[in-house]
Amino acid sequence: MTKAKQAHFNKMAVYAESKAGTEPTFADVMKLASLAAESMDAFSQSMDATTYRELREIARYIETMKQEIGMFQANDLKESRIPAAGQELDAVVKATEDATNTIMSSAEALMGAECTDLKAYQALVNDHVMKIFEACSFQDITGQRVAKVVETLQMIENRVGRFAEAVNARDVTGFLDEREAKRAKRAEELLLNGPQLAGKAIDQSKVDDLFGK
Amino acid sequence: MAVDHSMPILVVDDYKTMIRIIRNLLKQIGFDEVDEAADGSEALGKMREKKYGLVISDWNMEPMTGYELLKEVRADEKLQRTPFIMVTAESKTENVIAAKKAGVNNYIVKPFNAQTLKSKIDAVFGD
Repeated sequence: MTKAKQAHFNKMAVYAESKAGTEPTFADVMKLASLAAESMDAFSQSMDATTYRELREIARYIETMKQEIGMFQANDLKESRIPAAGQELDAVVKATEDATNTIMSSAEALMGAECTDLKAYQALVNDHVMKIFEACSFQDITGQRVAKVVETLQMIENRVGRFAEAVNARDVTGFLDEREAKRAKRAEELLLNGPQLAGKAIDQSKVDDLFGK
Repeated sequence: MAVDHSMPILVVDDYKTMIRIIRNLLKQIGFDEVDEAADGSEALGKMREKKYGLVISDWNMEPMTGYELLKEVRADEKLQRTPFIMVTAESKTENVIAAKKAGVNNYIVKPFNAQTLKSKIDAVFGD
């Protein structure tokens, strides 16, 4: 592009020099205009090629991004998988709560039972022990539900990981919205750390040490 | 100060099941008068209407946490001497230290058993 521009500039300079000292005619002006137009043509041709190449690269990038966004399956996650995982967890909470209440009701009934009639007492104990066994079956189903949630989380992790790599994502600090910011501030101020995993929490004996007992 | 088994106890937790567990454990160790509240603000209201011998509170509740309840209780001239035990899954050292600074009498980490609950109540009342 630089060579072409230089050649056209030289042509114009040579022409202007050849006409030095003479009165410029209309034909001279037209010739110079024609040389300038040739120069612009060459420039715009080279511009077109560069722009085209760059636009093609942008189009290729957009196509790749479209594919990656498609692979992310955001609608499937948002409308199907995440709500389903939430429902599974709700069901786990309900099942454990129901089981706990059933077991506690039986325990309360046994604690308050009269032992005057041995046969009746034995029947009552058998009945409530059976109820406790039955209630404990929640563990199998909740285990399966939690496994489904873990599978969904792994799927999200894989997709987010792939997408972040594809777009070369860099995290920015801050919160998505005001509600998220408020919750984080509340948790920080009120020390809402939640239950800790084994090894990250202190046990009762360490708590007692802090109280000097 | 000996433990008075007839004293009313206020149990504060947003999980009904947990309240039921604590109520049963308290019954097993000899306390029959147990009231309940679902968060700190409800507890504060009940404490202003009735004198409790002991408050057993969870930490993480909405809208008012057990930590906020503790600070409110200690700042209130009429309530500040009420014994207060925190029973919580918050098991980071910073939580225990903050609760101690705020004036908690004892701290129990969930899950816990009847023996732990009894020993902490005994310790609060100097038994």
